[in-house]
Amino acid sequence: MGQLLRGGEIPEIDLLDCGKPVLYFPVRHHSPVCSFHLKKAVEACAPDCILVEGPINAQKLIPVLAHPDTKAPVALYYFYRDTRGLVSEEKEDYRCYYPFLDASPELTALREAAGREIPVYFIDLPYGEILIHTGEGQGIRREAEKQTYNDDYLLSRSRYFSMLCEKTGMRSFEELWEKYFEIGGLHESTEAFVRQMFTYCYLSRVNTPAEELEADGCLCRERFMAEQIAKASGEYRRILVVTGGFHTYGLTQLLKVSEDGKRVSFVGEPIKLHGSGARKGARGKSVGQIFGELYGEDENQGVYPLAYSMEAADALNGYASGMQSPGFYQLVYQGLEAQSLEAKSQESKSLESEKLESKSLESEKLESKSLESQKLESKKLKSEKPESEGQEPVRLPEQAYEEAVLQQLVNAGRRARQKGEGLSSYDTICALSMAKGLAVLRGKRAPGLYELRDAALASFVKGEVSLSTDQPLRILDELNTGKQVGKLCETTERPPLLSDFEDKCRRFGLQLQSSAERELTLEPFTKNKHLAMSRFLYQMEFLETQFAVRKKGSDLLNGRDRSRIREIWSYRFSGKVLAALVDVSMAGSTVEEAAKSRLLSKAKKAASCREASRLLVQGFLMGFLEEQHGLEAYVRETLVSDGDFFSLTAGFSYLKMLYELQELYQVNAHAQLEEFLEICFGKIVQLLPSMAEVPEERQQECMECCRELYQMTGHKSFEKLRPPLMEAMLRLAERDKIRPGLYGAVLGLLYGWDGQYSVCIRDAVYGYLKGSGEMRMRSAAFLRGLFYTARDFVFVQEYFLSMVDELLAELSADEFLQLLPELRMAFGYFTPFETDRIAGKAAALHGAEADRILKGRRVPPHAYEYGEFLDTFGRARGQASAGGNGE
Amino acid sequence: MEQEVQIKPPVEVRYRKELEALQASDTGKKPINWKLSPRAVRTFILGSREPLVVNGEEIPVRKKYLGNDALVERCIITLAGNRGLMLVGEPGTAKTMLSELLSAAISGTSTNTIQGTAGTTEDMIKYSWNYALLLAKGPVREALVPSPLYVGMEQGILTRFEEITRTPAEIQDSLISVMSDKVLNVPELGEEGLLFAKAGFNVIGTANTRDKGVNEMSSALKRRFNFETVLPVRDVALEKQIIINEVKELALENQISMPVDEDVAEILAATYHELREGISSMGHRIDKPAAVMSTAEAVSVYYQTMMTAYYYGDSRMDLGCLVQTMMGAVLKENRDDLEKLRSYFQTVVRDKGGREGGIWDSYFEAGKYLK
Repeated sequence: MGQLLRGGEIPEIDLLDCGKPVLYFPVRHHSPVCSFHLKKAVEACAPDCILVEGPINAQKLIPVLAHPDTKAPVALYYFYRDTRGLVSEEKEDYRCYYPFLDASPELTALREAAGREIPVYFIDLPYGEILIHTGEGQGIRREAEKQTYNDDYLLSRSRYFSMLCEKTGMRSFEELWEKYFEIGGLHESTEAFVRQMFTYCYLSRVNTPAEELEADGCLCRERFMAEQIAKASGEYRRILVVTGGFHTYGLTQLLKVSEDGKRVSFVGEPIKLHGSGARKGARGKSVGQIFGELYGEDENQGVYPLAYSMEAADALNGYASGMQSPGFYQLVYQGLEAQSLEAKSQESKSLESEKLESKSLESEKLESKSLESQKLESKKLKSEKPESEGQEPVRLPEQAYEEAVLQQLVNAGRRARQKGEGLSSYDTICALSMAKGLAVLRGKRAPGLYELRDAALASFVKGEVSLSTDQPLRILDELNTGKQVGKLCETTERPPLLSDFEDKCRRFGLQLQSSAERELTLEPFTKNKHLAMSRFLYQMEFLETQFAVRKKGSDLLNGRDRSRIREIWSYRFSGKVLAALVDVSMAGSTVEEAAKSRLLSKAKKAASCREASRLLVQGFLMGFLEEQHGLEAYVRETLVSDGDFFSLTAGFSYLKMLYELQELYQVNAHAQLEEFLEICFGKIVQLLPSMAEVPEERQQECMECCRELYQMTGHKSFEKLRPPLMEAMLRLAERDKIRPGLYGAVLGLLYGWDGQYSVCIRDAVYGYLKGSGEMRMRSAAFLRGLFYTARDFVFVQEYFLSMVDELLAELSADEFLQLLPELRMAFGYFTPFETDRIAGKAAALHGAEADRILKGRRVPPHAYEYGEFLDTFGRARGQASAGGNGE
Repeated sequence: MEQEVQIKPPVEVRYRKELEALQASDTGKKPINWKLSPRAVRTFILGSREPLVVNGEEIPVRKKYLGNDALVERCIITLAGNRGLMLVGEPGTAKTMLSELLSAAISGTSTNTIQGTAGTTEDMIKYSWNYALLLAKGPVREALVPSPLYVGMEQGILTRFEEITRTPAEIQDSLISVMSDKVLNVPELGEEGLLFAKAGFNVIGTANTRDKGVNEMSSALKRRFNFETVLPVRDVALEKQIIINEVKELALENQISMPVDEDVAEILAATYHELREGISSMGHRIDKPAAVMSTAEAVSVYYQTMMTAYYYGDSRMDLGCLVQTMMGAVLKENRDDLEKLRSYFQTVVRDKGGREGGIWDSYFEAGKYLK
């Protein structure tokens, strides 16, 4: 590695010089080798304070992260609401994760500090400030599905890195990193490793344009971090600073060691803060105050610890943040830990035996010798002992990689066998030998992740790589990602909403122990507990927590499956659910409160009656309609101001449904719903006559609305609304320029209400069919509208068919063909049986029997043959006459 | 006497200097009977940044296999192990070339080869007899005609088995015992009839995925091999480079002194790449022809056009001739492919001509020959 990084002028900085007031340890997030050396560095340097790169407003959560009962993976979840438009004019909400794995050096730093009972602080800008100081689409504000605090992408995007990859023949930054740092670094002394880390990071940095660093917010963060280091330096004698390697050089340039060499001072320009720190006067306070108190939460930003999963950590890796395949590196880390424990126990054993030997020597012969010479003697004696006497060969740290590769191959092979793949133990042996061979060929000290994957590809896949053969590779990928789910210690302070969620789940018997999907069948109309559960699940759904999804059951929002009496839900607990709950935790201390508050804020923004009514339906399902909490005021306002006929009709339909279902869902909101219905209906009746000239493309929708209104007013509880509706329809029918389809539909409804309107229908049909050219063309549309709402008219009014028949007979063939498509649609509303009846009657008008026209004469085969012959003959003649050019 | 010129000299002859230089400078550990260490084999196939210096002479080792470096590394390690190597993939993806390079580097010869066909019999794989000698001397080793597999086992070198899936399944299976026990029994020779494979022996098979289902390998045989899927080149720039390199070499071998036109290589690479992938660089969705659109085909189209220009023309690549040669290469299996090629010209080539002009415009005009 040293050779690789040779060349160029690298500043000579001894980062781990214990004589200096500030020591620097550059890291890469989630890197086992960094953790491995960091532990050694802490041991060797014995700092009295550790500063870690991490948003300062998470300071109070450090005890939670470092607690022995907290099990990685865990994450800090930050959110920031840009209500003041400091980040951008859009005033959006921002959130990000800061995951910690066992192998993360930052977590190692926190744990080491806790173990040694020395203070440890986060020193980076608060999350909101980072956002404010980052350019749009840059750094932490990159467009991505998930945002993470980690900034390892800085190491892998410079020009320097791509040149290195090309030179070393590595496929990617990750492979390069693994070979030279993760595996190669284990063999180095801590000082050499840190020097090489610094060299790589320095070269990455100097090959990144300064404008990019500025836009990323990198330089601002460094100024802030340096400021915090300088402050801490006044209080602590020896400080160890653990930051991403990319920042180390920047920090050293912003800090100057005092003449007496006891502290450092900040030589940059202090950064201007906009958030809580600045307001509360962070400057000039002592370190304890600054770190402990001032950068707490405010109403717009917060940070919470979350139990995280390996899968989620791996998904974040897609955004170049931290190591890929955390499951594999976790195994490596565990191997390294086991080795270090083993080494310690061996060391203590040998110390003990050393003591015993020296004691016996002391008593027998060497009473006069000094302690110094005794030690020398005992060491000499020890070295003279033959190796075979119980001495185990020294295990090299990189063996942890070989062991992890072996374990993954064995596990993948076993799991593949369980899934029906024909893999034998010999395949695993071949795969391991392939991995080792590749490592040698590629000049690696031990096989790593890439050799593991290559070995499985070569030895586990039988045949061409395809979806049907690559199952072992998919299994290996899953294993490399890992399945572990983290756990937070009991003392963790959490948003009350999370506790409420867990309490409710416990009360309802919902399982939160695993992330497997579970199903639940509820009978909300017969069991009160099920109704409460259903409401809770609807609340979780409304809060977009991705916890529960209704798979079957009455779907009031879309008007489907209304007759179902059971609801089948599936639910699944994951870190995402917690994150979503944390997101909404500011909205209320219980799930119910948060859902209500979100419902209110949505209702406030609702622009139409349809939207407001949908929210009412959701509120109804969540069990909120009975209470007075301001929702009704917003809905009322929206209903009154809405002037869209379609939206009002849809809203009316929702309201009517809720009105009818109150009893079933044990909701009592009579007065409220009646009032809304009245407002809505009043506006509909007022608007209906003006719908005569509805645009052609919305005519069908308008017809549907009219029919629905008619049907709705047919129910007993709404029958008093029927007369005013029909009056409005009459006014609509009387409009001159009414669309023919709508006219037909309205006349059909009027006829349904009162038979005397049959005369109007007859006149209209006559008028259209006998009318001038364009009017005649509208007759089919009219019939379509009529049949849409009153197709029984054809059968009840005997004269109707004969009249239509006569009128159609008067049309020319061309006119009839023009009308035909729309006529087909009009008659499409009839059932097959009704079509038969109509056909029979029509046939009778022309002296034929129904059977005769419906069943044609059988065409004999020879007739088809003759037809084919004629076709061929005609084509041949045609070609002959065209000179034989055509086909 | 005039030196005989071979049409296609074997790899070990073609790259003799490189192999000798590598052998001279090879300090790595070698598996028994390997001519080069695995690292030197890798360098031979994937090239070296710096030239090798042997006896004061600089010998560059150029990259011969352009594509997946990790695949080459896996192949080398497989061959050093107990299992055979099976290269599978679409036609024209340089499987055979890779197997030749591996054999030449590892065993010093790439000609110890069984060519699999529908007519391959078991004695072609194991051994047969010189009947005159058999009648004269009886079943003795002298009368035995060894197959490439026999030779490989006897000498501890690699045996190549080309197009293994063209061979009937029962014939393929005669490899099973050899691959697992590394022993071949010749019962006619009595007690001396057991041939134990020498270290260094292994088998490199190639199989064409278009032949899948013709003679699918048995799972017993599959277990004796590590499979490597050789995929077509996905990068147009790399494909262009392959065309240029291959054509240069062909021209050199056949004494055609004509420079390679990089622009023509580029449009050819783009055409083959886009027709193979079914999408153009501008986003057009394209009907894929049924014919094999491999890089090897593209090389052959270029080379044929080049020869026409060299012998009949003015030593300049003629796009009209290129299009006609391409049509001949594409129209092998299905008449519909012509329509697909034509519609590619009518959409993609036309739009590229409109946007980039220059050679794409002339290429579009040459599309008139597609009839």
